[in-house]
Amino acid sequence: MVHNDYIPKLAHILEIKEEVGGARPIKTFRTQFQNKNDFSFRCGQCAMLSVFGKGESMISISSSPLVKDYLQFSILKMGRVTSALHEMQPGDIIGIRGPYGNGFPIKDWKGKNLIFIGGGIGLAPIWSVLNTALGKKEEYGDLTLIYGARTSKDLVFREELEEIKKKIAVHLSIDVEESDWNEFVGFVPQNVTDKKPSPNNAITITCGPPIMIKFVIKALEDLGFKDEQIYTTVENKMKCGIGKCGRCNIGSHYVCKDGPVYSWAELKKLPQEY
Amino acid sequence: MVNLEDLKNEAHKLLKEGTVKYIIGYERGTNGLLPIPAFIKNPEDVERLIWDPTCVFNLTRFLVDEKRRKASEKEPDERPVGVIVKGCDSRALVVLLQEKFINRDDVYILGVSCEEAGVLDEKKLAKTLKGKKAKNIEFTKNDNFVVMTEDGKTEISAKEILAERCLECKANFPVIYDILLGEKVKRKSDKPFGSLEKFESLSKEERWTFWKEQLDKCIRCYACRSVCPMCYCDECVADTINFAVTADTTAEEKAQKIKWAEKSPVTSENFVYHLVRAIHLAGRCIDCGECERVCPLDIPLRLLNKKLEKEAKELFDYEVGFDPDQPSLVSSFKDEDPEDFIR
Amino acid sequence: MEKILTKKSFPQWVKKLSLYKIYAPVRDNDICNLEAIDNPESIDLDCSNTVLSPKKIIFPQREIYLEFETSDENKLQVKEILPEETPSVIFGVRPCDAKALTLTDKVFSGDFKDPYYWKRRNSTTLIGLACNIPPSPNCFCLSVGGSPHSKEGLDILMTDLGDKYFVESLSEKGSTLINLAKPLFQQPKAADKKAVEKTQAEAEKKIVRQIKDIKKIPSILENMFDSPLWDKESLSCLRCGICTYLCPTCHCFDINDEVSSSSPVKGKRVRTWDNCQFPDFTMHSSGHNPRPDRSSRLRQRILHKFQYFVELYKDYQCTGCGRCISKCPVGIDIIEVLDKVSDYGS
Repeated sequence: MVHNDYIPKLAHILEIKEEVGGARPIKTFRTQFQNKNDFSFRCGQCAMLSVFGKGESMISISSSPLVKDYLQFSILKMGRVTSALHEMQPGDIIGIRGPYGNGFPIKDWKGKNLIFIGGGIGLAPIWSVLNTALGKKEEYGDLTLIYGARTSKDLVFREELEEIKKKIAVHLSIDVEESDWNEFVGFVPQNVTDKKPSPNNAITITCGPPIMIKFVIKALEDLGFKDEQIYTTVENKMKCGIGKCGRCNIGSHYVCKDGPVYSWAELKKLPQEY
Repeated sequence: MVNLEDLKNEAHKLLKEGTVKYIIGYERGTNGLLPIPAFIKNPEDVERLIWDPTCVFNLTRFLVDEKRRKASEKEPDERPVGVIVKGCDSRALVVLLQEKFINRDDVYILGVSCEEAGVLDEKKLAKTLKGKKAKNIEFTKNDNFVVMTEDGKTEISAKEILAERCLECKANFPVIYDILLGEKVKRKSDKPFGSLEKFESLSKEERWTFWKEQLDKCIRCYACRSVCPMCYCDECVADTINFAVTADTTAEEKAQKIKWAEKSPVTSENFVYHLVRAIHLAGRCIDCGECERVCPLDIPLRLLNKKLEKEAKELFDYEVGFDPDQPSLVSSFKDEDPEDFIR
Repeated sequence: MEKILTKKSFPQWVKKLSLYKIYAPVRDNDICNLEAIDNPESIDLDCSNTVLSPKKIIFPQREIYLEFETSDENKLQVKEILPEETPSVIFGVRPCDAKALTLTDKVFSGDFKDPYYWKRRNSTTLIGLACNIPPSPNCFCLSVGGSPHSKEGLDILMTDLGDKYFVESLSEKGSTLINLAKPLFQQPKAADKKAVEKTQAEAEKKIVRQIKDIKKIPSILENMFDSPLWDKESLSCLRCGICTYLCPTCHCFDINDEVSSSSPVKGKRVRTWDNCQFPDFTMHSSGHNPRPDRSSRLRQRILHKFQYFVELYKDYQCTGCGRCISKCPVGIDIIEVLDKVSDYGS
């Protein structure tokens, strides 16, 4: 039989959790393949999710590869496919193909301090690598999470964050003042500057809106981080996931295949086309 | 006969005096006999301008781009854009004015009359020349064409190589202009809908077979839509996603957008695309013939539009492109309108 | 294997290939299309090149990936659809278009071999026709490593010698086709070989258009991303898809679900051609568009063909067929654009 990567495997939704409500809702989906799970992936990789009749959408995997029982996706309702996903119920069937992309080079990060910097839904790709590092905490140095959103209601994984706070340093922020908020108020880059993480033996992983990433990188540079110490993810519109359909390229790189993870040193060399 | 030097002088004056911000005209290209659109800013560059029977493009199409560009500029240059128009192109301008898509103040119209000639049909010319390559073509005083080939000059009767639409032209001179070059001479056209005759003689079944065969060729490159000055919509029913998505468009709005036509170039979807386009051009198409000229598969798109033009004339006595103050065909109603068209 | 086939015998050869699906250039008034044919008499090898290249057969504009359906028990079923491997022959393939397939071969290979492309590609035999006269005044194959009689990518090359064809088999697939009608073919004489050489040499001289300094282009382009040239050259671009859809090397595609019933859900997932000149090609669902204007889209087309593809596959993604030049509604001329790129670099 010919291997046909365009054909998704069927999976059912085990559980749906509402993370954020309002006009830009986010839900987290746990899914399980109908047949045996031979889907092995690396942190930072993505999967192409199908809602049959609506189409496909590339979503980053937010669970850790250490978790074998389910694949988790945290999805912002944005267009045709993600709206359909938000309408779904546990038990409904979706298609999954992949995994796609390069993933984070976590093997090279052993023994290093990891600083995760996320904004809004950008915590999803970070979540996979953060939980992997937490699962093998002895292999890494200090772990730190700096995470923010527009309001306290826009923060994802709120319950889990409370758990994680017990294990590692977590610095949360919201953009504007709220009563009952005891942590930082301001944008994520400002929180980075405020918390002054040390560049010593450290790697930072930052995901979020492009404008946030831009200023986080600037803040990190000011703190003395080198380009090679800063990792981020890029997104572009994707269809095939395997570098053939031609639309997600940045220069000669196809983000679906050669990305989405780039060090700032690598990204700097590419044209600004994302 | 319009003198090219006069055209250049007028253009030079307009640019030199700063009356217009730039002029859209024709210049020689490198890819073949037909010219390319010229966007001229500096007075000395008017030397690039040409005017001959190869000037087939309807340059009013570029006013659509100009409008978008201006809208995106913070401090736009408020001066009008100069545009060279033939009779047919001027009627397109009238429609754009009638629909208030452009303001009269935003455009400076350099009208050129085709007089009794018109522009050529490249395919007819190729047939007439039987393999010889035309290097240059000029109008003559008696409205024939002088064609220069590798074998020298030959004079060809205009009728032989004129574009079909020119033979059926209702006004081969600009109907609206700031400057007019050439005479307002009306060429006799006995059969304004002559090209429809053969098609109209077909039975319903034959017409279906004809159009199915033609539209099945379509590869949906959308060149017909892209070249049309009337296809200025921000979003088009033919696109699977719509362009008019902004940061404020909600997920629901995006999810609920109807896919009227799939991207697949199959009979049903091609028909939806082409028929919607044809209907949207009813009472708006001024028969510049550009859609048919640019079609790489040679689909006779002009026939569709011409047929609707004829319907508009016969049912509602509506003629397009002569009066910017005329109510538009599809949004107006008169007591004497026939009732049998809606059933 | 080198043979001679008289033009008179050509239709008989085609008839002998009844086990194959035959595609060939067919005249449709003023243009030539590549069509499936039943009658050898409808083949027109004197046509200029076809509007669309054999890309349209190997990589058809519409390909069904799968069908999905919800059954009565509310069970979703997904069925993989693969094309049938129909042995096919394409006649009249111009050398530029055959070379183009060697380029799309690279794209559809790699870590993931595209089964749709390769099923069609492997079951197709390409019979080339050397261009004694350039099919288009905008041909420039010589500038991009091709020639009017290049054999690259072909299974057979035919050269028109007046009342006969010089037929050269270049692969096992090609020899099979000749062997199916052995008695129709004769051994070429020394004079025939000389005639072929002469024709080929003359053919090259007839190609007038060329890109200057093509070898320097990829490295110059590396520094031209932010050049004002793209704005200038794209000023008249209408954002239609002619240049890319007609290009024998352009391979971009879209994947969409086409639904015939929404409740219960039933439909197909299809791949269709797409192209970098359409504004929605790269638009994110947020509305953000990394290539928001025609200048960035023209830049993408040029850079993909002459820089990115070279970086990835060590070849230009262009074979000089001239279609994009001849058919551009506003005369955007890739040779002119590249010549301006050279000027920029000097």
